[in-house]
Amino acid sequence: MTTLAPPIRTAAQAEATRRRRLLLIMGPPGLALLVFFLVPLGIMGLYTLRSGTLGGEMAWSLDTYRSFLANTALQRLLWRSTLVSLQTSLLCVLLAYPIAYYLAFRAGERRMTLLTIIIIPAWTSYLLRILAWKLILGSSGLLNTFLLWVGWIDQPAPILLFSQTAVVVTLVYVWAPFVALPIFAALDRIDKRLLEAAADLGSPPWYAFVRVTLPLSLPGVLAGFLSVFIPTLGEYVTPLLVGGVNGIMYGNLIQDQFVRALNWPLGSIMSLVLLVLLLPMFLLFRRSDDLLQR
Amino acid sequence: MFPRKWVILIVVLGVLLVSCGGGGAATSGAKLNVFEWSGYELPEFWAQFAAQHPNVTVDFSFFGEDAEAFAKLQTGFQTDLIHPCAGWWQLYVDNGLVQPIDTARLENWADMPEFLTKQGEFNGQQYFIPWEWGYESILVRTDKVDKVPTSWKELWDPAYAGHVAIYDSGETQYMVGALALGYEPFNTTPEQDEAIVQKLIELKPNLLTYWTDNTELVQLMASGDVWVAGSAWPETLMLLLEEGIPVEYIDPEEGRMGYVCGFGITANAQNVDLAYDYINAVTSLEAMTYLIDEYGYGAANAAALDTADPETVEMLQLADPTILNDTVFYQSLTPERREAVVSNWGRVKASP
Repeated sequence: MTTLAPPIRTAAQAEATRRRRLLLIMGPPGLALLVFFLVPLGIMGLYTLRSGTLGGEMAWSLDTYRSFLANTALQRLLWRSTLVSLQTSLLCVLLAYPIAYYLAFRAGERRMTLLTIIIIPAWTSYLLRILAWKLILGSSGLLNTFLLWVGWIDQPAPILLFSQTAVVVTLVYVWAPFVALPIFAALDRIDKRLLEAAADLGSPPWYAFVRVTLPLSLPGVLAGFLSVFIPTLGEYVTPLLVGGVNGIMYGNLIQDQFVRALNWPLGSIMSLVLLVLLLPMFLLFRRSDDLLQR
Repeated sequence: MFPRKWVILIVVLGVLLVSCGGGGAATSGAKLNVFEWSGYELPEFWAQFAAQHPNVTVDFSFFGEDAEAFAKLQTGFQTDLIHPCAGWWQLYVDNGLVQPIDTARLENWADMPEFLTKQGEFNGQQYFIPWEWGYESILVRTDKVDKVPTSWKELWDPAYAGHVAIYDSGETQYMVGALALGYEPFNTTPEQDEAIVQKLIELKPNLLTYWTDNTELVQLMASGDVWVAGSAWPETLMLLLEEGIPVEYIDPEEGRMGYVCGFGITANAQNVDLAYDYINAVTSLEAMTYLIDEYGYGAANAAALDTADPETVEMLQLADPTILNDTVFYQSLTPERREAVVSNWGRVKASP
């Protein structure tokens, strides 16, 4: 018995050390997440039940929920914003896939250089990249000057800039590189021998792509799609700068509730609704691997 | 295990609170905290204060919206002076955020016209000292339009389709809608509120965009994309004229809109004496003359009308007593009313 005691204690000690290390590594980020994310989220949840924004004696009520449900304009805008995000994410995937494909299969030694070139724009400020599109789409901008020169239009049209299309174009530009990366990673992982096997068995390249490459890259596609869809749904800076009257998104009205209306309860509900809508997306994301491997 | 987690959490929260609170106190020299709109921190405005107190640092914090400033103060932001606009003053007084001001300590009090100072008086005491007032009116690129509009109604004129920009503010557009429909702003029935919403939705085909700040509007008008701008400020006019762009500032038949803003000393101010000196500096003749010449705003110190550039005073009719009677000034809104007005504006913006 005594000879067995030391190894057991060592195992227990090792377990304790492992736990302590884990706590040391996970503790600070976990705590930061708790204090700066979960607690504020809880406070926001409480705000939805208040009848006003500031002040001491305020009743708890469900009034704000009722007014949100009654506000069809807000719901319509949420729907329209969802469509804008969907459009953006789909376009991003369509544009990014060929790039990722080229990088994974054709670029060879140049892939690192090309990858860096794709990422470089992301080094500049997000705001700067949006403002650049104001210069391109504006009435004295590149596009208008070109169209005038070609003779397609006879007057510069600022309409190119302040529209929902401008919002989608700008968002696609900003996000497409971030979609290319996960797709590239997924394509790069594909065992090239699978494609050789397909060819040996007489499959034409396009059929091999449909049956082998595409299915195996879908997790990357889904990851890319969601990494655009989730942040753009709450987007407010881009529509504010290039959206004009018709490009307004749901996020703009959330900002209005907090900064202008001093209606924090309604702003909180609007934000939580967004979060709840995105939850299924997170779950889909988490289960994507299982689903696709079936 | 359970209580220990809580102890850790409380300790962490405590450390956070202490470090937040400690930031402000750890300074050596005296410091005056001013909560301002950006653009008003120019040293020209407080040169007198700087000469008087060379060792005092003036520490500016900035806000971009009145609602933002109010919310920040209400949730415990520490400052000595604040500079909100008159529509919000009542709310500050009602919530005990400002202290009464002893007008005997104000060097320029005698030169301030009563129609301005009266707005800062609540319950028989002076709480706010007006500093600037300004117009909000229609600004037109005269070289781009065939006909220069003469009323707020004409913003809806299809001749300007796609070339109108209005200010992105529920309160402002509520007033514009009311004026265009011939209602008395700040005294509308629910039916009239609804009519205003519909009217503003009808304006959308004419709009290029909503402008949100002065710089943006200057660019939009200078590029020629916007021909007619609603609720533009004199500052916009001055900047465009400086660039040599042909613009005209309209005096609409329903009247210009106007606002007054001014300084209040917070209830928990730590440097009350310095605050008084600061108010005296910014309302001095030199500072107020600079305000008229540079920004084209009306100055609370009426004596500055004689020292400012006569051309600016003439162009904006700053010295004309009748124009003030025709100007429709912003008024205080109750929190409920403000919520309604902004929520209606949200409906306008969200409508397709």
